[in-house]
Amino acid sequence: MRYRAWIGISLVAGVLLVLPPLTGFHPYYLYLVSTALLFGTVATSWNLLAYAGQISFGHAAFFGLGGYGAALASLAGLSPWLAIALGGGIGAVGAAGIGLASARLRGAYLALATLAYAEIWRGIAHNWTAVSGGGAGLIGIPPLPTLAWLPLDFTRGRAGSYYLSVAFLLVAIAVFAGVLHSRLGLAFAAVREEEERAGLLGVHPLPWKILAFALSGFFSALAGGLYVHMVRVVEPDLIFSRYFSILPLVMATFGGLHTLLGPAMAALGLYLVSELLLHPYVPAFHQLPYALALIVVVLYLPGGLATLLPSPRPSPQRGEGTQHGAT
Amino acid sequence: MSLNTLAQALVSGALLGCFYTLMALSFSMILGVTRGLNLAHGDLIILGGYLGYWLWSGSGLHPLFLVPVAAAALLPLALVWHWLFHRLPEPRELSSLVLTFGLSLLLQNIMLALWRGEYRLIASESLTGSLGLGGLRLNQGRLIVAAAALLVVGGLFLGLTRTRWGRAVRATSLDRDAAALLGINVDAATRTTFLLAFCLCGATGVLFATLHYLYPAGGIELTLLAIVLTIWAGVGRLRSVLAAGILLGVIEALTLAWSGPRWRELVVALMLLGSLLARSGGLARGWSH
Repeated sequence: MRYRAWIGISLVAGVLLVLPPLTGFHPYYLYLVSTALLFGTVATSWNLLAYAGQISFGHAAFFGLGGYGAALASLAGLSPWLAIALGGGIGAVGAAGIGLASARLRGAYLALATLAYAEIWRGIAHNWTAVSGGGAGLIGIPPLPTLAWLPLDFTRGRAGSYYLSVAFLLVAIAVFAGVLHSRLGLAFAAVREEEERAGLLGVHPLPWKILAFALSGFFSALAGGLYVHMVRVVEPDLIFSRYFSILPLVMATFGGLHTLLGPAMAALGLYLVSELLLHPYVPAFHQLPYALALIVVVLYLPGGLATLLPSPRPSPQRGEGTQHGAT
Repeated sequence: MSLNTLAQALVSGALLGCFYTLMALSFSMILGVTRGLNLAHGDLIILGGYLGYWLWSGSGLHPLFLVPVAAAALLPLALVWHWLFHRLPEPRELSSLVLTFGLSLLLQNIMLALWRGEYRLIASESLTGSLGLGGLRLNQGRLIVAAAALLVVGGLFLGLTRTRWGRAVRATSLDRDAAALLGINVDAATRTTFLLAFCLCGATGVLFATLHYLYPAGGIELTLLAIVLTIWAGVGRLRSVLAAGILLGVIEALTLAWSGPRWRELVVALMLLGSLLARSGGLARGWSH
């Protein structure tokens, strides 16, 4: 299973790397696939948090914090590369903050708290006009600079952000794979499955929860920072939109919770089907696949979302071994 | 802020609170009988509002006549929701949130397709006058909405406490299995609760559209308000819901008077997060009648 996963990753990564020259660096397709890859990054980071048993309805908060942080830093004259990294840090801090505040909340109530958290940031961005530009947002965000030591075609226009989004997704997947195969992953799984018992055995849940939030927030915010450098504007209703909370949740649950590659695959599949097949023909209903995917997963997925929460009794299918495979 | 402004804010807040009570009741009823949180609640209300607007702009009837029409129009959706909620896997609270998050997205897209995201208001002339009352000026539309909301809440209170159906619904929300063992048809009680709750959503929507501009993404705020009220009042406590609704209405009116409408959404979200953190045991703690 693990070998097949790595072969799969290498194949997909290879295809992604040669895609821009194959499409003749077509700006629209590059933009589309980059966005899908960013959603894949956010979905993977959502899944990392879910692996520690924390279901978020508010990843838009982390995505948006990264977006605003990176946009403000870039506009202040920082290099976009550093600005995006700084945005990632801001997202990590913001995520750790809600993780700490809601330490006592579980399941549905944590989900509601994160939903409220994203709405709070949207409200702040609307009202803190001096910094965020208010409802009109910020414009004039610079694009990613070209790199002199690489062929110009590969770094200019949409191609540069495309390759950076490929890199973000691969790094997010690699970090999640690292977590799964380390003591960290065991700690996360322990917090997810039996929070109280883990505490008794010396795994104090709170630091691990906060770490999971910070890691997840970091990657979502990196994606947000890159996103604002692609679209080059940032507005509260765009970047803190519930869209960025729902889609990662749909993609990760549809692709397979706690699996390494499922969320990223589902992100690419669902987003591209929605944008390429449905948007041109039935624009009003191009988000239909997300809603349908969610309904199918909730109602017909074996075990449903129960795998997310501490179960009343241990079940053999949920040993460590089965969770490491791809899709 | 002068004393008169304060009194004005308190009175209009209380009137708004009656409306909030109506809005939260349907959410709380569904939570009671199914243990499911309906995140699409606000979107259903907005849908009812858009239906009301559409009928009003087409027919020119008095908005109050359209309340029952919009209420009836949501009945088919009640059956869909009931079918879906019936099949929810455990943990029900979380899976209902995930499911209705998707349904909320779906409803928003449908409304965006049908009404193209324009702001709409049922600006009927019959509702715009204002009455003077000892120095206070009361908007006639708000008075009518508050009266209609109180009427429905009162009717619901009688229905839930004085009829066989109400006893069945209350027993089902207290303990579904025990109620079934005692021979109560819990499925029928659940289905009728959904039908009634969706009627209330449709009716609430038309009333809402006479007070506030509608836009397809506006539902989330109403859902958050309904959840805040349910946390404050506990599930199924009708009088507490009324008290909490009026308190919330007054808080909102004071926020508006102090700092203007821009802060409204932020205050709602802060209240939700604060209430959740303060009541970290969850909604189930307030489960009684």
